[in-house]
This record gives sequence, structure tokens and C-alpha cells, in this order.
Amino acid sequence: MSVSNTPSQASAKTKSKTRKPATRRQKRDWMFAAGFLAPFMILLLVFQYVPLLLMARNSVYDYSLLNPAASKFVGLRNFTDMIEYDDAAVSFGVTFLFALGVVLFVIPIAFSLALFLNSKLPARGLVRTMIMLPVVTSSVVVATMWSFLLDPSNGLINGVLNVAGIGNQPFLTSTSQALPALIAMTLWQQVGFGAILFLAGLQGLPAELTEAARIDGATRRQVLWNVTIPLLSRTTLFVVVIMTVFSLQAFAPAFLMTQGGPQESTNLIVYHIYNTAFIMQQAGYASALSVVLLLVVLGISMAQMALLRSRWNY
Amino acid sequence: MNTRNLFFASLLGATALWGTGAYAQDTTCTGETVTLRILRTPGNYPYPAPMEAWQKQNPCVQFEINEVPFAQLADTISVQAASSNPPDIIVYDGPNTQSYAAAGILLPITKYLPKGWDEDILPATKAEHSYEGEVYSPGIEQTTVAMYYNKKLVEAAGVKPPQTLQDAWTWPQALEAFKKCQQGTAGSPTVWGLGPTRFGNGQPGLVYQDLIYQRSAGDPKADPSSSAYKTFWALSPDGKTVEGYLNTPEAIEALKFYRSLFNSEGVAPKVGIPNAFFDGKACFYIDTPAAGNALLKDPKIEWGITPIPYFKTPIVHTGSTTIGATARSRHPEIAAKFVVDMSWGEYAYMNVSQRGNLPTLKSLFPRFAVYNSYPMKVFVDQLQEWGQPRPPGPKFAQYDKLVTDALRAVAFGGDPAELMADAEKKVQRVLDR
Amino acid sequence: MKKHHMRRAFFVTLVIALILCCFLAPYAWIVASSFKNQLTLFNDVTPLSWKAFLPVGGTIENYQSLFKRTNVLTALANTAIVAGGQVALTLLLCSMAAYSLTRVSFPGAKIVFVLILLTFLLPIEALMVPLYQVVSGLGLSNTLLGVMIPWIASPFGLFLLKQAFEELPVELEDAARIDGAGHVRIFFSIVLPNVKVPMLTLGLITFLFSWNSFLWPLVIVQDPANQVIQVAIAQQGSPTQLPNWGETFAGATVATLPLILLFLLLQKYFTQGMTTSGIKG
Repeated sequence: MSVSNTPSQASAKTKSKTRKPATRRQKRDWMFAAGFLAPFMILLLVFQYVPLLLMARNSVYDYSLLNPAASKFVGLRNFTDMIEYDDAAVSFGVTFLFALGVVLFVIPIAFSLALFLNSKLPARGLVRTMIMLPVVTSSVVVATMWSFLLDPSNGLINGVLNVAGIGNQPFLTSTSQALPALIAMTLWQQVGFGAILFLAGLQGLPAELTEAARIDGATRRQVLWNVTIPLLSRTTLFVVVIMTVFSLQAFAPAFLMTQGGPQESTNLIVYHIYNTAFIMQQAGYASALSVVLLLVVLGISMAQMALLRSRWNY
Repeated sequence: MNTRNLFFASLLGATALWGTGAYAQDTTCTGETVTLRILRTPGNYPYPAPMEAWQKQNPCVQFEINEVPFAQLADTISVQAASSNPPDIIVYDGPNTQSYAAAGILLPITKYLPKGWDEDILPATKAEHSYEGEVYSPGIEQTTVAMYYNKKLVEAAGVKPPQTLQDAWTWPQALEAFKKCQQGTAGSPTVWGLGPTRFGNGQPGLVYQDLIYQRSAGDPKADPSSSAYKTFWALSPDGKTVEGYLNTPEAIEALKFYRSLFNSEGVAPKVGIPNAFFDGKACFYIDTPAAGNALLKDPKIEWGITPIPYFKTPIVHTGSTTIGATARSRHPEIAAKFVVDMSWGEYAYMNVSQRGNLPTLKSLFPRFAVYNSYPMKVFVDQLQEWGQPRPPGPKFAQYDKLVTDALRAVAFGGDPAELMADAEKKVQRVLDR
Repeated sequence: MKKHHMRRAFFVTLVIALILCCFLAPYAWIVASSFKNQLTLFNDVTPLSWKAFLPVGGTIENYQSLFKRTNVLTALANTAIVAGGQVALTLLLCSMAAYSLTRVSFPGAKIVFVLILLTFLLPIEALMVPLYQVVSGLGLSNTLLGVMIPWIASPFGLFLLKQAFEELPVELEDAARIDGAGHVRIFFSIVLPNVKVPMLTLGLITFLFSWNSFLWPLVIVQDPANQVIQVAIAQQGSPTQLPNWGETFAGATVATLPLILLFLLLQKYFTQGMTTSGIKG
């Protein structure tokens, strides 16, 4: 509204603003803002913050969804149970491994795809469409597809491996292959999204920098490693954040394909929470698990955002 | 003049009509109408024919039916039954009776049961639906599983499966038959010895089908403190203790055999193969009467039935969907009456015959011609002589999931002792709450 | 030099073909299988033959039985209603909130902003049990409104539109204000028409999210008449009926096709929306 010219004038104006009562115009503005903001904030409070508080409250009770009236206050027992029994540690561990696997592979693959899409090579549009298809496909359909792809006797992947002379792999029925199989599936689903993000980053780079490096005699590879990649650090970090959060929230693969098995090797934390609440009928413990998950995600996101801010800009 | 006549005529006519209406109502319902809400899976009982017949006897009752797919049924029941507007009648998966009773969802119906019920009901059914001395569901139907076999494949391999319970195979004998009949390399043959289940996602491990391996290695007549006794029952009688019931020497032996089916012997697949048996890709296959009834209607292959094999004590799991009245129903008396009536006498016959499974009343068995002779008679015999409910208890759903996961892990190659010990620990934790 | 080019071209073509195979093959397989008789469905997979990817011997019986026997049609309609409603309400509420945060500086704006930022980081799946209690406490359990309402106040939408409004030059509105127009008039007749592209993008992203949602509708809706498409196709068969694999594939195809078509038509806006937050960070 008002434009300040010099710092002293601005501070004088601010000082006078706080001392003077709000003008009628300002009051009208605030009422308008309140009116326009209210529906959004009400919904936010009701559907995000109220459940949050409820969850914190529920985490110190023991109750079953079948009979919520018979709830028992148990204090911190749900939390000590998490330490005493190993299901929480195993589940969080599996989820972290899963997230790590996804992020570690998505970055190089998505980046390479983005380089390809940013070049002058043929079939770019087609490839871009193809890799985005899984991104717009629901996790249910992807899980259905991959359940059959990964079938140890009849699956398409085993069929292809057979042609190449490799025997049938157990995939989801093996404790060592189940999680990698789910990671591969998630990669397939998300790599297109990562590629698009990297592509946007690449296209936002000023061409002069890379050109200057080439003129100075750098090879393509040197340009890539020493100029392009460092300049994309912000985008890379963003992709890492997004992929981590997606992975920590993964549910459908465990629910539809493995039910957390075999032997909890794919017991992703969100599935574990669902299972605990709805099948094991221990809603209090599930709430405690949710509280910890929330704190973990908050912690990771904030750490990554802090990193984002401190990275060098160009 | 004309209008007035018209007016009076119409008045008269209306009164006459109203009068007939009232007259008609008098013969059908004298009190107020009650609407009973039923929650069930699609295609399940109670069926229209018995319901209509019942309504003639109870004219003041209307029905409102809400159908939910089986995968959603348990969730729906837990949501709706605990709410302030619950259904009056639920048709649910039998083994949950005790947990629903313990959670206060079901109405005890002991006092509504007709005379002679105790004598006519199958013992397994009564055990399954009783909790702390009260009966919570009369049970309408029963099912059990038996082993189907592909006649052509089996005869070509020179195998002759037993046709009666007395000659039933032991599991080692069955394994020999599987191996002989199987075609191709073990572990990935063209025709499997033992086909995969069609329940769930087709993977092995379901308590309903696979807990019987270790249970049959036990002995119900042994001393109650012995491991043989505990192996058979797989859960303490009060449903509160599982330690010592799963991780027993007998169970471990049986589970080693079970594991070998999927691994070293390679006669059974680790994941579901859609329609394997019906496509002729499996020699033997375990399923309920539903498969037999489907094959009788549409004989794709030549088939036979042999009793479920065993180690020491033959056993099959019983338990099917059943019907009950909710404790929070607004019309408990009439709901309970409906529930009991549907599962007794002629109504029971109408319901069971439409569904195609087995009845729960001994007096009804002779009326089902298809169950009076081989092959379907095997189901009846198994039910009456070998039938046991899945280990009943108020925490059955949790027991089911944890033990299924453990059995599945064994089938995939895990160590039975470790997995059973782990399962005991997990289940006990739930039971202790 | 020429050999180098040819080798490179060959290599590049190989890589492209591989990518296309990897991404296209599963879809081709699912769609082809949905047109096959369910009993012979898996015959072309082991041993693997090219027939697995084409509807050889096609039949539409899977689709017929899918639409007749299951609630897929109802679910599609429900999903359309939920997605449409969610898009409309999200666009409306987020644009209003973003505008007020951008153009008006009022006391407490910072706090409000932080509150919204925090929810951005909350994984909604962790909140599903208490969220369920809240929504059913409001009497919205088993309703279509209950399916969409927790997501309307979308922090992502707010940030996206906030960026869009920040880029809009203030002069347009100032001119109108001098002419005496009020905030509301300005918002609807001047501001909104100038942010068509971000709004369209947000609408598409919201539609995508809503159409594909699974966990929340699974939890909140029990009645199949009110269920959405992803849950409808994921439901297992009943224990007394043989599962129908052809129907499973047909269901997967039906659930995905609308979005794929929408995506193919409006690719530009989809990808734009997904990258917008990326480059601005």
C-alpha cells in the first residue's frame, strides 16, 4: 500500500503505524482478509490440527476401534512398548531403507533422463510422455500391475529373465528380494516426476555458464560435473525431499502386495499403523506410532529445508 | 348440482377405498412396523424366499439390506456396530463371534434358541459361537475343506487317492502322490502336485487351511499339560494363553514337512496361480464345497475328492459366515427372533440349499441329496467326524493375522522354531492387553 | 566421424527403445490381458510370447462382467463427483486464502503462514485414525463429502497460488481500486482471470490426487454404493467365489484410463504444475 523511500522514513512510518490505531481502510482490509482466509483456516484447523491433538491424546490410551468406549489410560506405556518390542524399530528401519533405496536410485536415473530430455535427441516427447504415465497412475493400479509382473512362476519379469537364461526369482516371497522389488516398483512410478523436476532445473540454467566453460576448453563431462551438477544442487535437494516424503508415506505396496511380509521385511510404517489400528485393534498404540512418525517426518523435512536454505546460490 | 354429486361420490369412493385399505392392513399388521437393518456380503443369506416366508408369519417387519464386499466386512462392522445407529442384524465371518461378543457388539441369543437345538446342532458350531456360557449366534451353515484331485492326471500317474475317511492318507503318503503326479521340474513344473489356494491372494499360510498341518500332529486325548495336547488345540481353552501351544516339538516337525512342500520337494507354489486346478495345471487342490458345486454345474475336468491328510489326528477347520443380532439394536427381541428362525427348520433349509454349503443342523443333512453320496459326502463326513473350529477366542482376528504371517514365512523358507516362537510372543502380547 | 555418429545413434536408439519398453510394456500387458478370457489369461506369459501384449483372441466379457457384477460404474460416478467437487472447492478456498495472505498484511499473518507451512510437512497417513474419528464425529462417515473435505485446505495449493499472485503486478488492482471497486470485486473480476494457468494447473493436480486416492476412501467409506474407483477395483473376491482375474485387469484399465487421457491432452499443464514449486523452491 504505502511505499517507503528511505530506511529512516520506513522505520518512522512503522513506528507511527504501531502507535496509531488502525485506519478504517486497514480495518476493512483486515476484515476482508479474515473473511477470505477463514474458510481455508477453519478447514485446516478442523481436519489437520484437531486430528493432531486427538492423536496425541489417543497415544496415551489403550483402546480398540471395535469398542472405543472401553478405553483405558495407560500413560506412556504405548511408547515404552515401542522400545520393548521390536516391531516399531523394524518397521521404521524398513521404511528408512525403502526411502534410502528410492532416493539413491531416483537421483541418477531421473537426472540422466532429464539430460536426455534436454538434449536434441529424437523421440523426446514420446519418452517424456511414457515416463510420466506411471506418475499419473494410481498406486493401486501400479501395485496390481507389479503383483503380476513379479509373480515367481508366471510373472512377466521372470518370463523375460527366462529368455535371458536366468531362472525364476522369488521376488516378493523372499525376505531378501521383497523390499528391493518394492523399491524398483516405486522407482518406476516416480522417476518420471524426478526427471521433470530436473528438466525444469536444467532449463532454468543460464546457458552462458556452460558455454563459457566449453570455450575455456572443458570437455562435456567436465562441464557436467563441475558446472551443471553443482548449479542444480537446489533442485537436487528438492527432489530428495519430495522422494523421501513420498517414500515415508508409502502404503499401497505393503497393503496390496505383501501385507508387510515376508517376515516384516516390507512392513512399511504407514501399513504398520493401519494394521495395528484396524486389524490388531490397538488404536492407542497405533496413535503412538503415528506421533513418532510425525516427529520423524517433521525432523527430516526441516533438516532438508535448512540445508536448502544454506546451499550456495548462483 | 352435478358438482355436489360428484363431490359426494368421490368422498364415498375415497372412504370405501380407505376402508378397504384399513381392512387389508388389519389382516397384515396390527402393531407398528419395525424395520430391521441387515448388514451382509453380496450373495449371502438370508435369501429372499425364506425372508418373504418369514414376513408372512411376522407381518409387521420390514427389511433394509446393506451389502458390503467381504474384504470390507470386518471394518464396516467395527465402524457401524459401535456407532449410535447400528444395524440390527449382521452376517459376519464365524470365527469372530467371540471377539464381537467380548467387545459387546453381539446380543446373546441363548434364551431365544428353540428346544432341541442343543442336540441337533453340530458341536463344532456350538463351540465356535459360544462365549462365557452364552450362545451368540446359532450358525446357519458350515463349510470345511477337502482335497480335490484331477482324475485324468492322477490316474495317468498311477495314483489311487482314498475315497473314504478310514483310508485317508497321511501327509507323507500324500506327498508321494504329489510327487508322482507332478509333471516337470520340482519348483517350477508344468503341472503342480498341490495347487495353490484361491483364498486371499493365493499365497500359502492362511490359518483356515494351513494351521491343520501342525494341529494334526497333536493329540486331543493326551494329557492337558502335554505338548501333544497343546499342539492340537493351538490355543488355551479360555483363549488367553498361546505360549506353549504353537512352538511345540510336534508342531515344528509338522512345519518342517510343510516347508518342504514349497521348497525342497517343490510340489506346491509359493504364490497364487489363478485357476490352476481348473486349468489342469495342478493334480491336487484344497477347497470348500463351492468348487465342487461349481464343477458339478460346469464339469471342465474330471475330478474326485479325497479326505484331507493328517499326521497323527485327522482334523479339518470349520467355520463359515454366520448371522447374529447386534447388542445395540433398537429392536433386539425381534432381531434375535429373526436370527434364530433363519437358522432353524425349514428356513434354515431354504437358506443353506441356496448357498450350496453344508448345514449346521444334523437333522438337515439327509435332505441334501448331493451330500449323501461320494464325492460331496466326504465334506459331510469330515465335518461331523474331524471338524474343529479355528482356535476360538476374543482376539481371533489378531491371532489369525499373526499366525498366518508366520505360517506364510515358513512356507517361504523360514525357520519353523524361530517363527513359531516369534508368533507366540506377538500373539501373547495382544492377548495380554 | 561418421562411424562415431552411427554408433552413437544406434546406442541412443537402443536406450530409447529400452525406456519405452520398460514403461509401456506393463500397460500393454494389463490392457491386453483385460481383453482375454480369464482362464487362458496367463498362457502367454510363461513361456513368454509376444501375444502377452496384444489382445489376441479378444473378448469383452471381462468388461461386461465388471460393469454388471461389481459397483465399478457407481464408483466411477462417485469418483467424478468427488474429484470435481474437490477441485472446485480447493480452487476457490485456496485462491481466496492465498490472495488475502499476499495482498493484505495484517497482524498475525506470520503465525497463520507458519501454521500452514507446518501442515505441509505432516504426512496425512499418520493422521488417518484420528482424522477418521473427526470426520465420523461430524456425521460425514460413509459420505462423498467426507471423502473430499479433509483435503480442500491444501497447503500445496496455497503456496502455488501465492506464488502466482506475487507475480501479478499490483498496478492492475490499484487501477481498479482507484475506480472504487471493493476487494471482492477486484478478486473475482480482475485477479482470478489473470491467474488462469496456475489455477488450471492446481486443478489438474488436485484432480489427479483425488482420482487416485486410496487409503482415505478405504477408511472412511464402507458402503460400496459410495465407494470410489481405486478402492472398488482393489477389493478381493469373496471366499466363496472364485476370483476373477480378467475383471481385475479390466478394473485396473478402467480406473486408469480417464487420467491417462486427461494427461495426454493436457500434458503441458500437468508438468508445469509439478515443476513450479521446484524451480522457485
